[in-house]
Amino acid sequence: MPIIEANRLTKVYKIPEKEPGVAGAIKALFRPRFTSKPAVSDVSFVVEPGEIVGYIGVNGAGKSTTIKMLTGVLVPTSGEVRVIGRDPHRDRVANARDVGVVFGQRSQLWWDLALIESLMMVGRIYEVPEARFKQLIDEFSETLDLKDLLKIPIRNMSLGQKMRAELAATLIHEPKVVYLDEPTIGLDLLVKERIREFIKQVNREKETTVILTTHDLGDIEELCKRVLIIDNGGLIYDGPLATIKDRFGKYREITFETAAEVNGLEVPESADLLEKSERRLVLRFDRTKTSASRVAAAIMSQLEVCDLSLKEPDLSHIVKQIYHGGLKESTLPPVDAIMTPVLSPAGSGR
Amino acid sequence: MVATFKRSWRIYGGMAAVVPKLFMAYSIWVWMELFVSIIAVVIFVAFWRAVYASTTTLGGLTLDQTLNYILLAQIFSDAANVSSVIYDFGAGLREGQIIHALLRPLDYQIALYVQNVVQLVINMILRIPLALFIWIVYGLTLPADPVIWGAFACSLLLGHAVLFCFDWILGCTAFYSTEIWGMSVVRYAVAMFFSGALIPLDMMPDWLRVIATILPFSQVVYLPVSLLSGITPVSDMPRIWLIQIGFLIVLFFLSRFIFRRAVRVITVQGG
Amino acid sequence: MTALPRYGSLYWLFVKNRIKILLEYRVNFLIGATSTIFMQAAGLLAVWVVMNQIPNLDGWSLPEILLIFGLITLAKSINHMFADNLWTLGRDYVRTGTFDRFLVRPVNPLFHLLADRFCHDGIGNFLVGLALVLVAAPQLGIVWDVPAIAYLALMVISGGFIFIALNLITSVSGFWLMDSVPVTRVIFEMHEFAKYPLTIYPRAIGALLTLLIPYGFASFYPASYLLGRNVAPALAWGAPLVAVFLLSIAMGVWRFGLKHYSSTGT
Repeated sequence: MPIIEANRLTKVYKIPEKEPGVAGAIKALFRPRFTSKPAVSDVSFVVEPGEIVGYIGVNGAGKSTTIKMLTGVLVPTSGEVRVIGRDPHRDRVANARDVGVVFGQRSQLWWDLALIESLMMVGRIYEVPEARFKQLIDEFSETLDLKDLLKIPIRNMSLGQKMRAELAATLIHEPKVVYLDEPTIGLDLLVKERIREFIKQVNREKETTVILTTHDLGDIEELCKRVLIIDNGGLIYDGPLATIKDRFGKYREITFETAAEVNGLEVPESADLLEKSERRLVLRFDRTKTSASRVAAAIMSQLEVCDLSLKEPDLSHIVKQIYHGGLKESTLPPVDAIMTPVLSPAGSGR
Repeated sequence: MVATFKRSWRIYGGMAAVVPKLFMAYSIWVWMELFVSIIAVVIFVAFWRAVYASTTTLGGLTLDQTLNYILLAQIFSDAANVSSVIYDFGAGLREGQIIHALLRPLDYQIALYVQNVVQLVINMILRIPLALFIWIVYGLTLPADPVIWGAFACSLLLGHAVLFCFDWILGCTAFYSTEIWGMSVVRYAVAMFFSGALIPLDMMPDWLRVIATILPFSQVVYLPVSLLSGITPVSDMPRIWLIQIGFLIVLFFLSRFIFRRAVRVITVQGG
Repeated sequence: MTALPRYGSLYWLFVKNRIKILLEYRVNFLIGATSTIFMQAAGLLAVWVVMNQIPNLDGWSLPEILLIFGLITLAKSINHMFADNLWTLGRDYVRTGTFDRFLVRPVNPLFHLLADRFCHDGIGNFLVGLALVLVAAPQLGIVWDVPAIAYLALMVISGGFIFIALNLITSVSGFWLMDSVPVTRVIFEMHEFAKYPLTIYPRAIGALLTLLIPYGFASFYPASYLLGRNVAPALAWGAPLVAVFLLSIAMGVWRFGLKHYSSTGT
C-alpha cells in the first residue's frame, strides 16, 4: 500500500499583469489581467512506506510547490494527492498528526526558549503522551547529542545545533512521513554526516518515510536509493539513484580557451563535443573510459590552448545531461525506472 | 569664510536630504495618520462644544476662542510629540555608533538638529491635508497681520530648539539607564498633556499651569499657537521670546555639558 | 467537545511560554504593562481638569463619563490581550512563510495565530478600565446588585468580542497586503468616538458607531442603560448579538483568506 500517491498533480499560478506607471496601476484595478504560470505540470509518482526519496531540481523547477501540495499547504489546480490515504488539505489535522516537516532554515522552535521548553510545547501541540515524550527526549539526547543543548535557547545555537534541535522537534511526535527541505544546507561535513546517520537510523528503526529535497548530492548519495528529478514543472526522472550515477554521474566537462580560431577538430575517444565557438571549446568525456589529462593532451596536440577548466557535475549539469542523454540515448531504461518523455530542447512543451 | 559656510552647508544639507527620502517611502501610513488625525479633530470639536453647552466661558475663553486654539494646536502639535532624537541618539549613543559620528568632520548635535528641523518642516507640510479639512469643515480664524505670523514662526522654531536640547539631555540619560523605551513613553504622555495640545494652559488650575510653564513642552505648542489663535496678544511677544531664548541658552549649554560627560565615559570605558 | 479543554490548556501553555520569553527582557515587561496607563492618563487628566470647572458635559457628569471611558477601555483591553497578534499576520507570518508551519500542525491556525502572542500590555489597559469603573461606580447612584454586575460583565465581554471581530476582519487583509496595519488601525481608531457619549456627535457618527462599526454597544448603550437613561432595549441588550453576528462574519472572512492562501501560496 503506497503511503504517498501523487496523481497528475498540476499547479498553475495566476500572476496579475500590471503595466508600469500610474495608468497601468489604475488599469490593473478595473480590468485585472492574469498570466498563467505553470509551476508544476502533471506530476505523478508513488512512494512506498519506508522509502527515502530524494527530490531534486534547480531553483524554480517546482520542488517547493510540489512539497507544499504534498503537505496540504497548497491546493493543486488539478490532479490529486493522497498521503496515508488522506487528502492532506481536506483532512488537514489528521494529516498533520502523521507528518513532520522541516522547512529549510525556518525553525519551528521558539527563538528565546530553552530547547527542552520548545520541545515540550511541540509535544503538547501534538499530544505526545508524557511518558513517551520523556523516552524520546532521552533517545534524541543520545542520537542527536542534545544533552548539553537542552537548556540553551535556539538563538544561542550554531547552525548545526539548530538543525539537530529542529530534527528532534520534527520527530518528537513520531510521524510516519517526514518532509525534509534542505536539512544540511550550510553545515560542515562532520555535522552533515551525523545528521545523515540520524535520518538513516530513524528510517531503519521506525520505518519512517522520508522525502528529501536538497541541492547537496552528498545527501542524495548517502541517503536515497531513489530519486525524483523535476524540471520546469515536470518530472523528468523517477528511478534509482544508481542509474543516474551510471548514466550521467560519470561525465565531466572540460572547457578550453584557444589562442586561435578552431578549425577542423578531431574529437578524442570517449569524449563528445558540447560547444564550439570562436575561441572556446567545451567537451564532455566519460570519466570511466578516459581521463581529463588524456582529453587535454589530445586537444592540446591539435591546438594552442591558453586556458582550460574542469567542471565537476552539479545538479544543473546532471539535469542538462539528462536532456542531452534523453535525446541521444535510445536504450530503454531499466524496468523499475520511469523516464517521462523529455522536453524538447527549445523549452517546455507542456 | 564663505568657503567654510558653503562646505558646512553642503555637509549638513546632505545629511538632511536623507530624511525626506525615508519619509516618502511610507505613503499609505501618511494617509492612515491623516485619517486618524481627522477622527481626533472631530472628537475634540464635539467634546468642546459639549463642554460649552453648560457654560459660556472657561478659563476666560469662549467656545470660538477655544475651538480656534484647539484646531490650530492639532495642526501643530506634532512638533511636541514627534521626537526621534531620543531613540536615534540614545540608542546610537549606547551602541557605540556615536564613535563613528564623532569621527565625522561635523558637530554631531548640530547635524542632528538640522535633520530634526527638516523633519519638522516635512511634518508641517504633511499636515496640510488636515489643515485643509479643518479649514473647510470647521473654519479657522487666522490673523491678518503678518507680524503675528512671523512671531508665531519664530516662537515655534525657538520652542522646537528648546525641546530639542531637552530631548538631547534625555537621550544622554539613556546611556546611563539603558531603558529608553520606558522613558520615552513617559515623556510622550507628559508632553501630550503639558504641551497644551489637549487643553490650553489658561484652563489649567494654577499648580498644573506652573508645571506646564516650567516644562519645555508648552513652548512648542501652547506659546506659538496661542499667539496665532489670538489668545495671547502680540504685545506679549517680546516677553515670550525672552523666556524662550532664556530656556534655549540654559538648555543648550546644559545639553552640551552633559553630552561631553557622556562621551568621555564612553571613550574611557571603550564603548 | 473534547477540543475545548485541550485548546484551553494549550492556550495556557502558550501564555506561560510568552511570559517566560518576556521575562528574559525583564524591564521591558514592566514598561509594556504600564505604558498604556501613561497614555490614558494624559487624556483622562485633561477631561478631569475640564469637567472640574463645568457642571456637566452635555448633560453627563464626570462619573458618568468615566463609566463610559472605563467600559470601552475594558472591552479594548480584551482585544489587546488576546488578539494583538492579528495585525502581524501579513508581515511576520505570510511574508516570511511562517504561516505554513501553522498549516502543518494539528491545531487550528487561527487559534495558533492568536495564542502565539498573548500581549501583556493589555493588562495595563484592563486595569485602567477597571479602575475607572470602580472609581465611578459609587458616585453613580446605581444599585450594584448581582444582576447589574452580571450585565456589566456581559457587556464588557461582548464589547471585547466586537473589538476582536473587527480586528480579525481587517487583519485578514494580511493575506493580500504585507502590511495590514493601516487597514486595521483605521477601523480601530473609530473606537475613540465611543469614549464619550454618542450624543455629543453629529447624528451620522452616532449611526456609524451603532450600525456599521458598532463600538457604541461596548460603552455608550450599556452605560445609558445602567444609568437609567432612555435607551431602546435592542440597543441596551444588543451587544452579545452584535458580537456573535460580527464574529461569524469575521470567521467567514478568515476562511476566505485561508482559501486564498491555499490556492496562491503567497
